[in-house]
Amino acid sequence: MGCASSIPDKSAGGLNNLDNGGAPDAKNLRVKLVLLGDSGVGKSCIVLRFVRGQFDPTSKVTVGASFLSQTIALQDSTTVKFEIWDTAGQERYAALAPLYYRGAAVAVIVYDITSSESFTKAQYWVKELQKHGSPDIVMALVGNKADLQDSREVPAQDGIDYAEKNGMFFIETSAKTADNINQLFEEIAKRLPRPSAPDS
Amino acid sequence: MPEMRSNLLHNFELQHRRDAYGFALRPQHIQTYREYTGIFKEEEAERSEKWKNFLQHLHEQTEPGSPEEKYEDALQAEATEFEKSTVSGSDSEENEAKATELKETIVPEGSRKHDESEATADTVSEKGREGDKAEDAKLKEEIVSEGNGKDNESEATGETVSGDSEGNKVETTKLKEEIVPESSGESNKSESSKEIVSVRGKEADGDEDIKLEEDIVSGRSGKGNESEATEEAVSESREGDDPSRKPDSDGSTDCDPKKEQISKETKTIQTWAHVRPCLGAIENMMSFRVKKRKDMKGEQLTNSRDHLPSIDEEGSSERESEKVFKKKVSVNKTSKESENASRERGAQGDGVPPEPYFSWKEELECLVRGGVPKDLRGEVWQAFVGVKARRVERYYQDLLAQETNAGEIKDHDNPSGLPRKYKRQIEKDLPRTFPGHPALNEDGRDSLRRLLLAYARHNPSVGYCQAMNFFAGLLLLLMPEENAFWTLVGIIDDYFAGCYTEEMIESQVDQLVFEELIRERFPKLVNHLDYLGVQVAWISGPWFLSIFVNMLPWDSVLRVWDVLLYEGNRVMLFRTALALMEIYGPALITTKDAGDAITLFQSLTGSTFDSSQLVFTACMGYLGVTDARLQELREKHRPSVQVVVEESSKGGRVWKDSKGLASKLYSFKHERGSQMDEKKTTVNGDISHAKPPPSDLDELLSGLNSEVDSVPDLQEQVVWMKVELCRLLEEKRSAVLRAEELETALMEMVTQDNRRLLSARIEQLEEEVADLRQALADKKEQESAMVQVLMRVEQEQRVTEDARRKAEQDVATHKYAVHVLEEKYEKAMASLAQMEKRVVMAESTLEATLQYQSGKAKAISSPKSVQNQGSTVDSPRRRTGLFGLGWRDRNKGKQTNVEESSNSKSTTERTDSSTSQKETEAKEQEP
Repeated sequence: MGCASSIPDKSAGGLNNLDNGGAPDAKNLRVKLVLLGDSGVGKSCIVLRFVRGQFDPTSKVTVGASFLSQTIALQDSTTVKFEIWDTAGQERYAALAPLYYRGAAVAVIVYDITSSESFTKAQYWVKELQKHGSPDIVMALVGNKADLQDSREVPAQDGIDYAEKNGMFFIETSAKTADNINQLFEEIAKRLPRPSAPDS
Repeated sequence: MPEMRSNLLHNFELQHRRDAYGFALRPQHIQTYREYTGIFKEEEAERSEKWKNFLQHLHEQTEPGSPEEKYEDALQAEATEFEKSTVSGSDSEENEAKATELKETIVPEGSRKHDESEATADTVSEKGREGDKAEDAKLKEEIVSEGNGKDNESEATGETVSGDSEGNKVETTKLKEEIVPESSGESNKSESSKEIVSVRGKEADGDEDIKLEEDIVSGRSGKGNESEATEEAVSESREGDDPSRKPDSDGSTDCDPKKEQISKETKTIQTWAHVRPCLGAIENMMSFRVKKRKDMKGEQLTNSRDHLPSIDEEGSSERESEKVFKKKVSVNKTSKESENASRERGAQGDGVPPEPYFSWKEELECLVRGGVPKDLRGEVWQAFVGVKARRVERYYQDLLAQETNAGEIKDHDNPSGLPRKYKRQIEKDLPRTFPGHPALNEDGRDSLRRLLLAYARHNPSVGYCQAMNFFAGLLLLLMPEENAFWTLVGIIDDYFAGCYTEEMIESQVDQLVFEELIRERFPKLVNHLDYLGVQVAWISGPWFLSIFVNMLPWDSVLRVWDVLLYEGNRVMLFRTALALMEIYGPALITTKDAGDAITLFQSLTGSTFDSSQLVFTACMGYLGVTDARLQELREKHRPSVQVVVEESSKGGRVWKDSKGLASKLYSFKHERGSQMDEKKTTVNGDISHAKPPPSDLDELLSGLNSEVDSVPDLQEQVVWMKVELCRLLEEKRSAVLRAEELETALMEMVTQDNRRLLSARIEQLEEEVADLRQALADKKEQESAMVQVLMRVEQEQRVTEDARRKAEQDVATHKYAVHVLEEKYEKAMASLAQMEKRVVMAESTLEATLQYQSGKAKAISSPKSVQNQGSTVDSPRRRTGLFGLGWRDRNKGKQTNVEESSNSKSTTERTDSSTSQKETEAKEQEP
């Protein structure tokens, strides 16, 4: 949409959501999270699993983007409210992606471990975010469909290596079996920069 | 097993969670949907009644039309026949009715041919073929004016063919002539004779009309084998014609493949169906619009080779528009003709050609806003999109054939890479299009696949874009495959031109336009959204891209589509979005953070079951949002989007530098002039997406027009304001009601949201509780351990105390024993003292007696003195013995010594001591 050209100046910066209209206190964080990745890698499924605990093998194509939010509680008695933007996967929708990843504190880049093409696409997204995303964005690389070990095309080590090289957090998940889904978001929550109270 | 069962259960549940269109309902909406089903039913009944009346009325109104409006009459004739058939109802009757209908249509067809050919003859008389055509037409005209249907028809064909004077054709027409009398009075006859008409039609004016006839033949189901047989016979006969016809008619160059297609169509029955004739009038009106669009785009289309064969297309549409123009707008005729003459270049110069006036247009508009009845929807939509005018015979089949030959990479325009990408994406998305919808089974998916692939080939600049799968799926639910294809072509190529292309420029532009509109209309809401950090495009983007599919309840989606397809542009998209903002905006004001606002908005829009309210709010409330205004705004915003797209394709990071919308709007307002210049250059520069150079002229003209029109605009505005006022008053009332509804919805939302927060907290607390419990358990364990230890200690203590007590007792007994012994000892001592006394006494008595005895002995005799000596020797021994006895008495063990010593005493002493000995022993035994 008007994304690329109509940036209200206020949200042009980085982690605005954390301090601007965001979490009023250090105990209750609010985080804008965006899911990116090739079409059909399971972005929507990951979100649905995380937010609703459901898995639908025949979920709908996401057009444009869809929004869901979920709050989790951490051990240190802080809560993190994830405002999740699940974007459309088709290549041309990348033109609209900046609208959603701009100002996001977290980007979850998903690929399908049974498709090396989707892994290439994930690397594109990493570069894109390094170029255009918030400078202190927390990035996670997620290899989804980990339940399909037999048709694996992307070795876990590749993911680990790439993530390490780019300072990302890496995890393999399965939205189908719910494997590592909560861990993914908990780990993200732990890595969030905490707005230390006297900071501002 | 349990998994399977749960799956089944799930499916079963899903079956019950589908609406009347077979689409899944969200669980939270089931209740609301149920509440609305009654209303929907009532509305639907009302709607179909209204539409029936309208179509009937339309027919009656136009039937007694002026004699020169023959084309209209023809359509109306078709319409009446259809009305008959629908009224009669049962299948057999319907077939009969159809048969008669078809028979009767032959006559008007003839007249139509005449009109058309005459028209072409009038305008273009360069080619001899067309001259012939005109002659034929005149002949036909004569025949038709004689007034006899069937026979005349065959004669007419005969004449036509003979006019061409070619052996083959004469033969074939003879064949046909044979068929006609044979089958007279039967339904087959009507079809075969129609075929004849179509062949004749082909000769007269090329593709268009035959196509239509064939459509009727192949599209209508319920035809016997016989009719197919005749059809094939006809096609065979036509095969014979081919070589002869090719040289003299450019319109029928593809005759040979046409035969193939006919057989194809008989195989796959429902690939194409003709719109029911009663909608012909509407169709006609809309195809005028299509034609207009094509005029505008003609050149662009011809540029890309694999687009619609534009020469044919233009030719046919030209003719069609010609009919309308000639009859309706006779004044404009000359200008129209001149336009035809200079079509190659001058199409744009004409600007805005006046649309013909249809008296029932307003009524139709009203009906459309009220919703199209379900059973008419598919066909009405086709009529709106102008499928008839768009359709190019065999085009769809060709695209599909390309697809099957894709392995050979025959398609010159697409080197294998491009379609493969789309193909894969389409494959991925097929099962994700309305998953679980009963109609999208294996066959449905296949249709969908074919449709999307065909479109991707048809328009490579769009190819396949996610969202089209939903549109295509929706259309397939309403109409046969090829109809759906042409409808999709109309929607994506025309209505949404540039929206779904690789760069999606128009979609981006639309978002900017919408943002401006919404800032203008709902400043308060936008302020709030700004405050929350929510961008309008986040919400409206998906709406626009999906044309509300999956965003609103289906009833509302279809209602919006009704209007959108009728209007033929994206105005309804904007109006609906604005209406949604209006309806739900107030609820948003109460939200406190971005997430809540978006969630609330999503859920509210998802439950917009009151489709009538939505559509009327959209249509009546935003009359100011017109296509012209949107175009103007688009022109304004397009350059910025184009700049960004260009730059980003170069890899630059422009968006960071681009200004915010507000400031940009400001600059637009103040530097309009310079922007205009800029715009022109960008428009000229962009070849692939912007309009070709002549559009600049067009823009200038329209700009002038709008200036000239501004005065009547004001008057219009006053009227509009009055209407608006009335509407607002009425709306206020409904708004109050709505507010209550929203409040409850909001409350629900808030509680839901709270619940989410609370659940997180509960989770946390529960964790803590669990921890505490664990700790408690640990403590208890420790305690019990301690208690055990304590118990042991206590026991030990007790034992020790017992021991102590025993010891004490022992001590006591010992003490007692000691005491007793002491007493004994004292007694013993006392008795000893007595004994000593006695001893002393005894001794003293003994001495006394001894003294006495010695005294006596001295006095009496000497021998007595010897005895006395012995006794004196003994005495010291006795003393020591006496003292020794006292010591020995303390140490009991030596009593025997005492006894022994006392034994050595004198006999008297011995007896004394033995008695005392006995006494002590007795005393000892006492305790």
